[in-house]
Amino acid sequence: MREPTYFVLASLLDGPLHGYAILRRTEELSGGRVRLATGTLYTALDRLTAEGYVELVREEIVNGRARRSYGLTSSGAGALRAEASRMAEVARLVTEPGRRVKMGGIARKTSPA
Amino acid sequence: MTPLERRSRLLLRAYPAWYRRERAGEMLDTLLEASPPGRSWPTLRDTRALVLGGLRVRGVAWCLSMLWAGLGAAGAGYDFILSTHVPEAAYIGLPSWVGEPTLIFLAGDLGAMAWLLLTVPVLVAGLVRLRRTDWTVSWPVAWVAGLVLAFPVADWQPSAPAVYACSKGQGCALTGYRYPVVSWGELAVFAGWLALGAAMTLILARPVRRRRLPDASRRSSQEAGGP
Repeated sequence: MREPTYFVLASLLDGPLHGYAILRRTEELSGGRVRLATGTLYTALDRLTAEGYVELVREEIVNGRARRSYGLTSSGAGALRAEASRMAEVARLVTEPGRRVKMGGIARKTSPA
Repeated sequence: MTPLERRSRLLLRAYPAWYRRERAGEMLDTLLEASPPGRSWPTLRDTRALVLGGLRVRGVAWCLSMLWAGLGAAGAGYDFILSTHVPEAAYIGLPSWVGEPTLIFLAGDLGAMAWLLLTVPVLVAGLVRLRRTDWTVSWPVAWVAGLVLAFPVADWQPSAPAVYACSKGQGCALTGYRYPVVSWGELAVFAGWLALGAAMTLILARPVRRRRLPDASRRSSQEAGGP
């Protein structure tokens, strides 16, 4: 899972958000590192919707225009949690040197290319 | 409508019409909200992301076809310009004019090669994209039209009038040809390529079947939200 995807999914953990709110929240959560352009956000939302990770949950009219809010599906939340634990595992290889000896093969299997 | 909104709407045209009907309003809102106050042009980042996003939605077949049609039109334009100059002997079949800048000659060669290499992928990509639709047949028809447009070029080059030098008692001798001879037929070929590009865009302007946009009516009953 690429970093922007991870942060987009993470931004929806506290409930559904609309487009601009997702941009704000991803920037906030990543400490300003992930700044998505609008086009990139909607490309990601299209893909995540097709994969069943994100769904449209609300459509309301604001200033005469449709405002849509997107939320995590249960499979999206599952994928996000799986990615988080994978990263935590990979991080432990560095932060807890003792584990490296015990876990042996894990380092090879999960190290990002 | 502010200038920023007008320009953003124009940029959103990178996306196909079916996608814009569904999404443009929402994307425009997000774009405007995300733009720093006082801006009258979309940022470079936003522009790039929208153009790339639009190309992605339009798909590989569309991009290849537009490149093919664009190269075809550029080739016809090149041939027209060529006909307004004094021609040089063709080098391995590639025509040039006397004093043609090397850069233009090389770009022309590369363009011609890319055009040739693209012919088959364009046919295949279009057929894959349109398979099992009412439009399957129209694709090879458009493709053949493209090939046909490429071949009359040489025939439409008018021959230059001969120049004779005559002297008393010895008759006349051919001394050369009067160049350049403008080939207006190339402009028709150029227009033909533009029309072909437009026709291909129309044929490909249908959503890819696998595509699924977020749709409120299909949402699942389970509560959305995080753990």
